[in-house]
Amino acid sequence: MSFWETITGSDLTREWKAFEARAEALPPEYRGAWEQIKGHLFPYGDFTGRNLMPLLDAALGLLEEASADGQSVSEVLGDDIPSFCTALVGGEGARTYRDRWREQLNRNVARKLGRLGG
Amino acid sequence: MDDLTEMLKGTLEGCVLEIIGGEETYGYAITRRLNDLGFADVVEGTVYTILLRLERKALVQVTKRPSELGPPRKFYTLNDAGRAELATFWAKWEYLSSRIDRLKEGGR
Amino acid sequence: MGIADIIEGKKQWRAHMARVKALPPDYQIVYKEMQRYLFKVGPVDLPDGPLLPGIVDFFEEGVAAGTGVLALIGSDVAAFCDDLVKDSRTYADVYQESINGKPVTDER
Repeated sequence: MSFWETITGSDLTREWKAFEARAEALPPEYRGAWEQIKGHLFPYGDFTGRNLMPLLDAALGLLEEASADGQSVSEVLGDDIPSFCTALVGGEGARTYRDRWREQLNRNVARKLGRLGG
Repeated sequence: MDDLTEMLKGTLEGCVLEIIGGEETYGYAITRRLNDLGFADVVEGTVYTILLRLERKALVQVTKRPSELGPPRKFYTLNDAGRAELATFWAKWEYLSSRIDRLKEGGR
Repeated sequence: MGIADIIEGKKQWRAHMARVKALPPDYQIVYKEMQRYLFKVGPVDLPDGPLLPGIVDFFEEGVAAGTGVLALIGSDVAAFCDDLVKDSRTYADVYQESINGKPVTDER
């Protein structure tokens, strides 16, 4: 079952609590980033905030994945959380941020492969 | 020839369809075939993304078979929809190349 | 709930990451950077879809053939990723549809 099906068929409060429970499990640095992301995404929400749920899920998932891998927050989101949120909603400038992520990806690969000495 | 990537982009999918249409084959062999044709810049990854798309669009039949070395390999054949898509590709190619040729010959 | 279940240690995800860890270092580096990028770009079916395991399958074949990772996918890793998700809907798409009034969810 996809996230979207889950969310459209259920009550938002419960989903919300589930998000918060997941956020609780994150290390402090990541929890801080989560609070910021919520703050920046709220203005994009509709009346119920339902349309934000997949985005919040994605952002939280990214933080979970990063902490599981032992990466720092800034390593994953860049040092600019508002921009990250803009990119996430696909709004103005999203293309620019995607380009930035793209460059970041190729740069990281080149750097880390270089460090391998290969 | 260098730097064909941009121009090749729209047609590579058709080329892959054509190769699969010839006989059942797999990603690595398709890549080699394209390299031998003179498309030296085509890497396996490029072919992989095309095969993935063909699979999503349900144009190919995929069979996993064990290989002598390493993990099982995915083999591809065209299904009816794939053959129809291939025919469409050649029709479009015919049209495009005839127009462009005409443009070139028309210049005096 | 897709990503949540998976990240919070579902068996499948652990098995998936164990396969990643079994890859040679250069492949691991590239895989992890790709995954990070793909999570950001956010195709909706990423966490439980076939894309990520498919990449590992593909990489395992490359390893078995003795190919280096960049020789396999080309040095523009981002372009390879973009090709992989070219026709996938992203979270941003879903959001944009929601504000543009297209029926993504039941209308009240």
